[in-house]
Amino acid sequence: MHYFAKMKGGAQSPPRVGISEILWSWVGSFCGISLVTLIHYRFLEPMDMLMVIGSFGASAVLIYGAIRSPLAQPRNLVGGHMLSAAVGVAAYQCFHHEMWLAAALAVSFAIALMHLTKTLHPPGGATALIAVIGGPKIHALGFGYVLLPTGLGAVLMMLVALLINNIPKSRKYPEFWV
Amino acid sequence: MIGNDPWEDCPLPFADEDVLTAMQAIPGYIDITLEDFKELYRIAYDRAVKRIRESTKAADVMTAPVITVTSGMSLAQAAELLAVKGISGAPVVAEEGGIIGVISETDFLLQMGARPNRSFMAVIAQCLNNQGCIALPVRKQIVADIMSKPAITAFESTTIMDIAATFSQRNINRIPILGASGEITGIVTRRDIVHAVCKIS
Repeated sequence: MHYFAKMKGGAQSPPRVGISEILWSWVGSFCGISLVTLIHYRFLEPMDMLMVIGSFGASAVLIYGAIRSPLAQPRNLVGGHMLSAAVGVAAYQCFHHEMWLAAALAVSFAIALMHLTKTLHPPGGATALIAVIGGPKIHALGFGYVLLPTGLGAVLMMLVALLINNIPKSRKYPEFWV
Repeated sequence: MIGNDPWEDCPLPFADEDVLTAMQAIPGYIDITLEDFKELYRIAYDRAVKRIRESTKAADVMTAPVITVTSGMSLAQAAELLAVKGISGAPVVAEEGGIIGVISETDFLLQMGARPNRSFMAVIAQCLNNQGCIALPVRKQIVADIMSKPAITAFESTTIMDIAATFSQRNINRIPILGASGEITGIVTRRDIVHAVCKIS
């Protein structure tokens, strides 16, 4: 196919999901985000710690809204976030004098590493970027960022997905673990 | 898909609407486009056909036992045998045994003026144009005179994929199958290959 012809697309957009799917996506994401932000604001923030990062909002789309997607499975959710967090911290620590470079390296290497390890999870790209652009509070965590908020937050979101996504007959989560 | 697309002229067995209906029948967001699904289907289907062709051997599809003619038979006898058995060709065995050739409709037609494209219609055209058919010289001949030789053969363990390739490369329609000790154990025709592949799909 020619370069410009490829830009026309031409394929059809997939059909819209049913009402119950929309409802359960809402319930799952409400509960999942509630849990991590509740812990964050009630317990951790007063101790100057974090439980929630912006990329969890993106994860919620996948693990509560598109639960059959390979990108939404536990391996991808937890693995993708934690590996990307480590890459992001490393990129910041090595290149913080050149922030644009640190940011670009964080995201690009996070994607490459997620591909390599079969843990591709789109919000992981945001997790890596936050490690660089997230400000002094994030930077102060060092590699601790990989475990808290990233690792623990992802695991809590996954537990909510297990509990909520398996309630309706029409849903099953996960498709696979590892 | 790029380049040699075997599906170019071959429509998929379902319409786009069928796939979209199926996607709607499955609850949940199906994270795949219609085009990707069709591409997956095509590749998986091609692979399945190839796998089955490679795993199916001549022994699985051949006709056995096989009707043979002997090299010394007159053409009239041979033709009558083929006609009675309702087949269009047979392996030729020597009087002392052993396959030495294959005789088929094509060999007869070539003797009866079917050149250049070996068709029955060419013989008819010749008959009608020349007020009579030129079968006369053929009457005195024997099988050994007109058979195709040497015989192209395959073994019971040959895959039907290899046999199909031989059919099109050598432009033949049947191939005698030999057992481990070289004796004829069966015959595979183009039709047998088609049936084998249809059973798959």
